[in-house]
Amino acid sequence: MKPLDRRDFLRAAAVAAGAGLGWRAASPKPGAMVWQIDPQTCVQCGRCATNCVLNPSAVKCVHSFQICGYCDLCGGYLQPGAKTRDTGAESQLCPVSAITRTFVEDPYFEYTIDEDRCVGCGKCVKGCALFGNGSLYLQVQQDLCVHCNECAIARDCPADAFRQVPAEDPYLLKTRPAEGGPPV
Amino acid sequence: MKNHAEPREKARPFIAHPAVGRFVAILATVSGVFCLIVSILLIANYLQIQALDPLNQPELLALRQRLAEAPEADPALVEPIRVMDLLARKAFFTSQAHLHMGGMLLLAGVIAFLIALKLAARCYPRPPAPVGSKDPDRYWNERARTKEILAFAAVVLAVAALIAAYLTPLDIPGPARAEPSAVTEVEAAPAAFPDWEAIQRQWPSFRGPGGYGVAYFDTAPTEWDVATGENIRWRVEVPLVGFNSPVVWDNRLFLTGATESVREVYCFDADSGELLWTRAVPAFPGAPETPPKVSDDTGYAAPTMAVHGERAYAIFGNGDLVSYDFEGELRWGRNLGMPDNHYGHASSLIAFGRHLFIQYDEKRAPRLIAVDAETGEEAWVAQRKKISWASPAYIHTPLGVQVILNSERDVDAYDPESGRLLWTVECLDGEVAPSPAYGGNTVFVANEYAMSTAIRLEAVGAETKPAIAWEYDELLPEVASPVASDRYVYIATSLGDIACLDLETGKTVWEQEFDDGFYSSPVLVGDRLYALDLEGVMHIFGAGAEYKLIGSLPFGEGGFATPAYLDGRLYVRTQKSLLCIEQRDDSST
Amino acid sequence: MMRCVRLVAASSVFLILTGTAAAEFRFPMPEFASDYQPPQVHAPMPDLDNSALDVAVLAGALAVAAWLTLKARSRRGLFLLAMFSLIYFGFWRKGCVCAVGSLQNTVAAVADPTFEVPLVVLAFFVLPLAFALFFGRVFCASVCPLGAIQEMVAVRPAHVPKPIEQVLALIPYLYLGLAVLSVATGAGFLICRYDPFVGFFRQGASFNMLVLGGVFLIAGVFIGRPYCRFFCPYGVLLGWMSRFAKWHASITPGECVQCRLCEEACPYGAIHAPSTVGPPVERRQGVRRLAALLLATPLIVGSSAWAGAMTGEMLARLHPTVNLAERFTQEERGVFQDMTLDTEAFRSSKKSVPQLYAEVDEIRRQFRRGSAWLGAFFGIVVSAKLLGLSVVRRRGNYEPDRQACLSCGRCFAYCPVEAEPKASTRSDLPS
Repeated sequence: MKPLDRRDFLRAAAVAAGAGLGWRAASPKPGAMVWQIDPQTCVQCGRCATNCVLNPSAVKCVHSFQICGYCDLCGGYLQPGAKTRDTGAESQLCPVSAITRTFVEDPYFEYTIDEDRCVGCGKCVKGCALFGNGSLYLQVQQDLCVHCNECAIARDCPADAFRQVPAEDPYLLKTRPAEGGPPV
Repeated sequence: MKNHAEPREKARPFIAHPAVGRFVAILATVSGVFCLIVSILLIANYLQIQALDPLNQPELLALRQRLAEAPEADPALVEPIRVMDLLARKAFFTSQAHLHMGGMLLLAGVIAFLIALKLAARCYPRPPAPVGSKDPDRYWNERARTKEILAFAAVVLAVAALIAAYLTPLDIPGPARAEPSAVTEVEAAPAAFPDWEAIQRQWPSFRGPGGYGVAYFDTAPTEWDVATGENIRWRVEVPLVGFNSPVVWDNRLFLTGATESVREVYCFDADSGELLWTRAVPAFPGAPETPPKVSDDTGYAAPTMAVHGERAYAIFGNGDLVSYDFEGELRWGRNLGMPDNHYGHASSLIAFGRHLFIQYDEKRAPRLIAVDAETGEEAWVAQRKKISWASPAYIHTPLGVQVILNSERDVDAYDPESGRLLWTVECLDGEVAPSPAYGGNTVFVANEYAMSTAIRLEAVGAETKPAIAWEYDELLPEVASPVASDRYVYIATSLGDIACLDLETGKTVWEQEFDDGFYSSPVLVGDRLYALDLEGVMHIFGAGAEYKLIGSLPFGEGGFATPAYLDGRLYVRTQKSLLCIEQRDDSST
Repeated sequence: MMRCVRLVAASSVFLILTGTAAAEFRFPMPEFASDYQPPQVHAPMPDLDNSALDVAVLAGALAVAAWLTLKARSRRGLFLLAMFSLIYFGFWRKGCVCAVGSLQNTVAAVADPTFEVPLVVLAFFVLPLAFALFFGRVFCASVCPLGAIQEMVAVRPAHVPKPIEQVLALIPYLYLGLAVLSVATGAGFLICRYDPFVGFFRQGASFNMLVLGGVFLIAGVFIGRPYCRFFCPYGVLLGWMSRFAKWHASITPGECVQCRLCEEACPYGAIHAPSTVGPPVERRQGVRRLAALLLATPLIVGSSAWAGAMTGEMLARLHPTVNLAERFTQEERGVFQDMTLDTEAFRSSKKSVPQLYAEVDEIRRQFRRGSAWLGAFFGIVVSAKLLGLSVVRRRGNYEPDRQACLSCGRCFAYCPVEAEPKASTRSDLPS
């Protein structure tokens, strides 16, 4: 082993300088960031289902029961122009039949999403936004997502609806505010 | 140093093991073939899904379409849809499972294959040996050759990059386009163009001076009889039909008419009805070869002309924009590009100050264009968001003149000099044809399928702040534009209703039903309201808190255009004719 | 004037849309008479608490690799370590974040002060470079998962002729420059997008990328480590560091005896043979040529900077905003009849057209400038390579190329020299 000489000092200095500069310029944070969809910006284009590197997509529809109106005529469940309000395949909007409609009490129906089936196409989201409260919306499921450095959906999102959020608080959920407050 | 380890390690890579090698080679072949088969299957699976997405099979989509169009749930359609849908979903999830399984199998197969290959390579090693005889110059020759090839490759790359860059220029306009160009020369308002005082006394555009349906003179006729000719000053036929309304300046009346292939501008003498001249609009560069598709309710000559000083301006459904002087000379003209409009372009022209405003709200690039009224050069363009069939109006506020436009979603106000967006309110919906009404510092807009909204304008400093005063959604117009006075606003619907609302509160003051609907917009003339219905009957009633019918006078032909109201005269265009009604005695109130 | 087709009774229900200016919910909160409780929203947390562990494993693996290369000189050890790295950094950590990609995050953080970079990523960027500065490219041999997967398939690597190899070796410089340009202008992470192997690690990628990965692997069977040698942009940085490394992998543990047995040892062509005989060209001529090349260097750099600047507009298409604006312009002009999802979304967005064009102008400016730098960089690289090839350096021993040697250790077995002199036991070698 050669003794440390001037070159070694230069090397060590280079590493220290590089790391120091990098630290200063980059201001690294200790926590990791994950990708998430901002439901207020999303335009339900359908690319979440096709662009994700995973198949099926890590994006799934979530349902905010706080906001849902529990309507018989559900804009997210029924096809526009559905002839009957029932669970028939001809009336359903979801192409993989991932929404289950259950009668609760008159006149309310509960709609739940079967996440194993949901492909994240956003058709129900669009329907609910058009005629409904917007309680159905898309979110990246953090246990499925592989947290790519550059999200393949994010870079193609036409509305720029993807954000990086801290891993400790990785969802951008919609909630109904207290009486009189603005919606989230 | 591990002396014992080294010889053993060094020796091992170079000892051949043919027996093991044969066995391993067979393993490698088997796993290799397995990998190949699985890869081909996976690729085939993928290609199949690309070709026919199980969830979007054409037969299923067609059946769903038929069910949507059927009046009620037809079991003959429902059953097949259910069956096909179940099969489609099964196919979808099965192919997903196949993909995953295939991926796993391929991974396992590749691992096995690689292990076998590596072992096989180990079993048939290539022992170290020097490579042939060395030509002493080979080293340097190789370096020289490498230099040459490297330089050559670098040059080829650079040239290829340059060629590629030249062949694929970026198709985006340069920075000059980014800002709407404001007219920079500041000159005194040319004497050629009239001011508001002069404009008010004419009927220069759709729905009168300012375009919001309020006449200046209150002496329009209240009695006439088409059958006997009483008070009918003249009646002529218009050569080609069009839904545009007459505009009048001094003793000139202008109209357009068009068919699919011909576009004409007419100038009549307002006193005698004589057709002074007809001009067929020439073909301009950039005019579309095939005429646009328009609906029967729009036609090719829906927009009303604008007259400003000594110029008359017309626009047609194919994008032709022309300016004639009163003698029929074409001063300038061009084609704005074919509008992408599924009903046909309908917004009328309006002019104020130095500019002519064109609401060109077509689907692809909705915009408000301001051209210099004298030269036709573009002064500024304001990009907009949505399509519409309404026409602009301009209002005088304490902070200046504002041009108000309706669109499918918003009401926008622009500065006429610069095109800057002054304020906007998102309150409309549906396909908007009615234009704005204005009275008592309130802009009122209404459309079927929307909440009709009254927007109060408040001057805060140098800005106008709009505020929604009230909303209304009972009787809504589809075509006819509402009109407002200082206290009331009047709506005429396509089903024949007229409602009078209080402008302050939005409460209904009175409602009246008529036999036929209204496309022509009602106009406020003094303390009377004139509304022409589709059958060509003019209903005149008092504009006030109580409904008071003054007269219902037929024209004998359908009425779509909005008449022009001047001192003691009214000009009306019916389906085929143009009439001038004049009542000069003092019986009009 | 219009008869709306939508008045069909069945669909009309959906058309009674209220203005969205008042942002309330259309349908009120239901009041349940029974004691129904709505279920909770399923929102699982990510499993990401391993940053410190990853850095530790990285540092440990690098240290082990250095030891295996320089001290233990164990090819088998390096191979096993490569397998471990493939499993841990590749399949377990799904190949992300990797050191190759981390260079983009670092550049992004430097270029954009608001871009946040986790410590892990910065560590992944710095650690392999630091080790390379002292120990050579030990990262490449057995720590990088991309390298490891190629190592697994390199069964019978063939020899690539030097001229072709040198030309292909230009690509990593270009790739590095393009990747940096793309990140600095906000156009995206090219290295991540075109990483051929990450699709295998995370068991998910677009079809095209999986096929590309397969092509690279199949090629890797016959050509050693094609991605590492001819594409990896991080390898450029590692090569620079490795050039000045204090300790570097050597073929021989002691003195080279010029036995020539290692000539075919390196599958990656990184062994320099000695040049005992001088060049066929006279020294004076050689010096003149070198001087001419030196003088030509500014010209080369300048002209390639110019060529780079010319390609700036074309390269600007890397940026999605530029693509959007181009498509929008063409739609407006009538070149296309239909809108894409992007132009449609843009038209309904709050962004105005002048804003879009202003953004595009800024991006174009950045690309013109950036690609001029890229061109200059490329010119410098080409000049340096040409100069390097013109300089006569007499070498007496078989040595690994300090920049290109990946410290894989294959050549160790080819050298008959013992580390410490000892009684010859050469009977185990084939004659």
